[in-house]
Amino acid sequence: MRLYDIVMLVTPDLSEEETQKVAGEFRKILVDGGAEIVKEEPWGRRRLAFTIGRKREAHYHYFQVNAEPRLIAEAERRMKLSDQILRHLAVRADEELKRSAKSAARQRAKAIRRPPRPPAAPPAAAPEAETERRDA
Amino acid sequence: MTAMPSRPGPRSGARDGKAGGRKKFFVRRRKVCKFCAEKLEYVDWKDVRLLQSFVPERGKILPRRISGTCALHQRKLQTAIKRARSIALLPYATD
Repeated sequence: MRLYDIVMLVTPDLSEEETQKVAGEFRKILVDGGAEIVKEEPWGRRRLAFTIGRKREAHYHYFQVNAEPRLIAEAERRMKLSDQILRHLAVRADEELKRSAKSAARQRAKAIRRPPRPPAAPPAAAPEAETERRDA
Repeated sequence: MTAMPSRPGPRSGARDGKAGGRKKFFVRRRKVCKFCAEKLEYVDWKDVRLLQSFVPERGKILPRRISGTCALHQRKLQTAIKRARSIALLPYATD
């Protein structure tokens, strides 16, 4: 299982409810395929930075899922086929998180090894602040 | 920095008023990598506000010689901006 970030852009021609329905379809595909949904956020209707197929806006919908790579490939294939989805992006999120957790741990270890000369930031507070940042 | 002749020639002597001193026209502010300063390990491609501060009007990525971002974070920033572009959160180009 790997952690993925998925964003899809749904046509602005659909209403909010219809967009929810489309999102629901994909949620079902993911869940039926054995994925565990970690986070789901409708970002709502947003202006596009450039036009995509003559559209200036789109409904953004975000998922964070724990899934097998094969399932993500299948979900991406369906998104490509769907007419209601203008664009999508699915990227791995776990590698970055792991790496940053590792270097955070390294820094903490360094801080402990070093004799506390100046009134340095308390090492216990650092990891908390970082997880908060990531959620935002 | 301009290359100054080490020997005090007739022209260089005329230009700097004080002897020997290299004249600075303005004090350069030291640039610090924003991500290092705030201890952000991971550059989030979903955070449009943050990315936008590294994308000037034209839509190009701000070079690190200007923003002062360190090499590691510039690289992460680059992929983040490119991902954001692919889902139209940021422009590829504007005129």
